[in-house]
Amino acid sequence: MNVITCYKIVPDDQDIIVRDDRTLGLEKAELEIGQYDLPAIEAGMQVVADAGGKVSALSVGPKLLENSKLKKGVLSRGPADLYLVVDDSLAEADTHQTARTLAAAIQKIGDADLVLCGEGSSDLYAQQVGPQLGELLGMANINAVSKITVEGDKVIVERTLEDEVEVLEVSLPAVISVTTDIVQPRIPSMKEVLSAGKKPVTQWSLADIGLADNPQTMETINTLAPELAERKQIIIEGDSEEAVNELWENLRQELQ
Amino acid sequence: MSAIKNVWVFSDKQDILAELCAGARQLGEKVTVLLIGNQSAADEAIKAGADHVYLMGELDDSRMVEDFLPTIEKLVAEHNPDLVMFGNTKRGKLMAGKLAAKRGTSVLADVIEFSEDGTCKRRVYGGAAISTIKSNAEVAIATVGGGVFGPQALDESRQGTTENVDFVATESKVKCVERRAKAGATVNLSAAKRVVAVGRGFADKEDLKMAEELAELIGAEIGCTRPLSEGLDWLPREYYIGVSGVMFKPDLYIALGISGQIQHMVGCNQSQTIIAVNKDKAAPIFKQADYGIVGDLYKVLPMLIEKLKSGK
Repeated sequence: MNVITCYKIVPDDQDIIVRDDRTLGLEKAELEIGQYDLPAIEAGMQVVADAGGKVSALSVGPKLLENSKLKKGVLSRGPADLYLVVDDSLAEADTHQTARTLAAAIQKIGDADLVLCGEGSSDLYAQQVGPQLGELLGMANINAVSKITVEGDKVIVERTLEDEVEVLEVSLPAVISVTTDIVQPRIPSMKEVLSAGKKPVTQWSLADIGLADNPQTMETINTLAPELAERKQIIIEGDSEEAVNELWENLRQELQ
Repeated sequence: MSAIKNVWVFSDKQDILAELCAGARQLGEKVTVLLIGNQSAADEAIKAGADHVYLMGELDDSRMVEDFLPTIEKLVAEHNPDLVMFGNTKRGKLMAGKLAAKRGTSVLADVIEFSEDGTCKRRVYGGAAISTIKSNAEVAIATVGGGVFGPQALDESRQGTTENVDFVATESKVKCVERRAKAGATVNLSAAKRVVAVGRGFADKEDLKMAEELAELIGAEIGCTRPLSEGLDWLPREYYIGVSGVMFKPDLYIALGISGQIQHMVGCNQSQTIIAVNKDKAAPIFKQADYGIVGDLYKVLPMLIEKLKSGK
């Protein structure tokens, strides 16, 4: 079983600052593996632990992917090798451009039985790359998967929808987008971190994967922090009975 | 996407479908619904705002909702509407993505506002910011959640047309072998008038019972901050206020033990009134609150519950 898990490098959104003109400052934000992608990597490791085979990690994006700490970060979580498609034009890639780039890379890697994606990226969270990728590759394609069991040449998955759970038989090869509930991602051991540096990394350009022409399908005109509403800001200090009484009077008015 | 004339709507959830029909009325000149169901469901869609309904057939054990996508693809290719809106359920997101890939474009995902100039808005960075985006495609494809347009009254006298279309069969690579109700409570925060939200100020999962009691007394839904649903697993993901595309505009929002990071505040920013309980005077939540108390929620909450019970 050849498993490819896709991931995105994103800024830690806890460190994003809002400037006075409502634009965002990302300079201080540390880069990390998307938090929704970590369970997909771990789910891939579980699949090969049960059914045998190999997990490869794959990411497409700008030059910052080359950061050795980030490369070790993903490899320390289990994958045997890593593939990167690096081009600075991918920094602002829309979901179609990302899916097309991943599809071309997966075709070049070859022989994929199962491609795993997180349920969305933790920065833009469109939840679209997995569904588009599956269609572009012409593979079985399903999202919201919370459990995967390999059975011969297919997988049995549980899909958690808004108010029901489906059990589905999915033929291979397949692209599956998984939820964060599927498995708790590991915290890499020191041994895993040390061995990660020795694992093979293959880096391609867009030309290497035959994708020199990959135009934008969507424009982002601007990204601004929302304007905050004016608030009364009547703040009472202390948790004495008197203070709570005052809060209660305010609450009581609101409840009428 | 420039001027929007023809808007098409699909959703596997009846309530979202009705909202999108009403919203599509405000956006475009002609509203067309892609429907899985029977004539009476089509009549409902017309009352909600549809001018035309394509009846694609009904669900049965052999057909998943997703199996109707080839029929949708064919109709879209034949008629080239300006905008196709999918309700942003899990199924809606998958189907929108597959359709977009087929047509060589992206999806305008979880749109929270459409403008007349063809641009639209969506939340990014966990809600810390809003991007204004625009599709370059001839047929723009979007996912839109319940609450964006809000529920509208049905117009019983509205007239529309219904057309039966042939189901386009394809070999499905995904087969449903079992379907069961999801365990645990479902929550519909986007429709809630009152919300009691809990944060890291609670030391133990057991203590959330106090918040639940308060919520029950005032008829509120429970919501939480990200760490409680994603780090601690105290509450399911559906309770988490921030990242999803669901709009959230309650009349009253009570924040208990929530510091008020921007990612969370954006989720509740549209609340009419915000009340905050937090022991840290410097917590950012107080800058965004109408009423607040700087105190220990373990003292404040039992007193408030007592007062609610006694009514004094």
